[in-house]
Amino acid sequence: MTESAAAGIHPQSAATSAPIAPTKLKVRDLHFYYDGFHALKGINMDIPEKKVTAIIGPSGCGKSTLLRIFNRIYAIYPKLEAKGEIVLDDENILDASYSMNRLRSKVGMVFQKPVPFPMTIFENVAYGIRHHEKLSRADMDIRVEQALRSAALWDEVKDKLKQSALGLSGGQQQRLCIARGIALKPEVLLLDEPTSALDPIATGRIEQLVEELKSQYTIVIVTHNMQQAARCSDLTAFMYLGELIEFDRTEQIFTKPSKKQTEDYITGRFG
Amino acid sequence: MASSNFLYTHRRIKNIVALTLSMCATLVGLLFLAWILWETLRQGIGALHPQLFTKITAYGEDGGLANAMVGSLIVNLIGILIATPIGVLAGTWLAEYANGTRLGESIRFLNDILLSAPSIVLGLFVYTIIVLPTTALTSGSTTFSGWAGGLALALIALPVIVRTSDEMLRLVPSTLREAALSLGIPQWKLTLQILVRAARSGIITGVLLALARISGETAPLLFTSFGNNYMTFNPSDKMSSLPQVIYQYANDPGDAMHAIAWAGAFVLTMFVLLLSLASRLVLSRNKVSHD
Repeated sequence: MTESAAAGIHPQSAATSAPIAPTKLKVRDLHFYYDGFHALKGINMDIPEKKVTAIIGPSGCGKSTLLRIFNRIYAIYPKLEAKGEIVLDDENILDASYSMNRLRSKVGMVFQKPVPFPMTIFENVAYGIRHHEKLSRADMDIRVEQALRSAALWDEVKDKLKQSALGLSGGQQQRLCIARGIALKPEVLLLDEPTSALDPIATGRIEQLVEELKSQYTIVIVTHNMQQAARCSDLTAFMYLGELIEFDRTEQIFTKPSKKQTEDYITGRFG
Repeated sequence: MASSNFLYTHRRIKNIVALTLSMCATLVGLLFLAWILWETLRQGIGALHPQLFTKITAYGEDGGLANAMVGSLIVNLIGILIATPIGVLAGTWLAEYANGTRLGESIRFLNDILLSAPSIVLGLFVYTIIVLPTTALTSGSTTFSGWAGGLALALIALPVIVRTSDEMLRLVPSTLREAALSLGIPQWKLTLQILVRAARSGIITGVLLALARISGETAPLLFTSFGNNYMTFNPSDKMSSLPQVIYQYANDPGDAMHAIAWAGAFVLTMFVLLLSLASRLVLSRNKVSHD
């Protein structure tokens, strides 16, 4: 399998034969349609556990679309259809019988723009936990603190937990959204251009946070920013026109890409 | 350079003209508002004394409007209490569950028709389906009632509340929905605990505006709550209301009655004005920024 697979589909196949880590998300022959428009054309990739996988590519290449299938958030809109398989812990999450509730407690997501709920800072984090677990007040306080600490936000908000989250800065709001996501103890964390609405300092904080979080979570990050992918990912997937062109170790992609299209993109010839 | 200078000057002139025109338009609108307030105050000032609020209409020109004010409050309250839960729920359904579906679009369209239905038609409708049957059932002991008036007003307030709830909920960015759903929060919890909260000030504003709208309605009350010269707190009775008394007194030949009608009009206008201001206050204080 590793040998026969086309170069750039599985990260372990291209340059080195040793797998990087056990596979967490196995994508097989994934197709996606927006009301008939064929947006993803047969994606195959193995996303390794507890690594940061970056997905890059020009606008409209399908990278966000792919990310949004991993927690099936696309399913809230009509006329969207995914075909194929995405295997998470031996189960196909695209199976109609796979519980959405369970999937979303295992696969968390952070969006482009920070979207705090119109509640207090504490409630923003506690709200999701409360839906999945019954905790005592003391336990809840601990969980919320843990989540805020992991998101590197605790020191900034510990004295104003009862204040509205809408009063935080954009960067703080985004870290609050990350805290909210990891408070559910997911296994996979999806980041959809999480820093595109933030200033460089806030972006630096989030990237540092991604680095810290990868020891515990499998992270998939979609980014427009190639330097960001180079800085904080272990693996990089390059997509173009709904196809996965190349998927390899990040340093490989950015130094010796095996495909012409990848090289053109990362050297700025298009996109 | 010269040509771009010309371009800038040209634009500046256009800007000044447009600004002047829109300011004039604003002034015309404000002028009439101030004029109406001034005129009602000037004409009604003679009757604006405490007995306007303490005496009932049965005393005629020596009386006040106490029963009409109480009646208006009760009938409006009934109307708004019926319309608010139905309206907010319907608006929520339209925005969250039926958005983009054919059924949802049809109902939204029908709601807009109801929004522009002449209020007298709604009054006649309630007269036919409530007043006439209750008259027949009670052999004439209950005919017109505060309940019927409240229902007629509810029919007027309902589409306003449906429309604003629907629009306010649709203004909540879809990213907020995605964020909640991606935490595994089910749709009903998302709607009740997050979206309605995010749209709360807009929905409250809609209710207040609907209240302002119905508190000035006369026509639908003529066939439903009818009017009553005595004080009553029982909505099963005929009930008086401010707009209906104003209408009645305005048709009276006596000058003293006219003054009372003007004073009533002033009170009513101030009430509506205060409601509008309150709704602005609610909206600005709880403004939730999502950008």
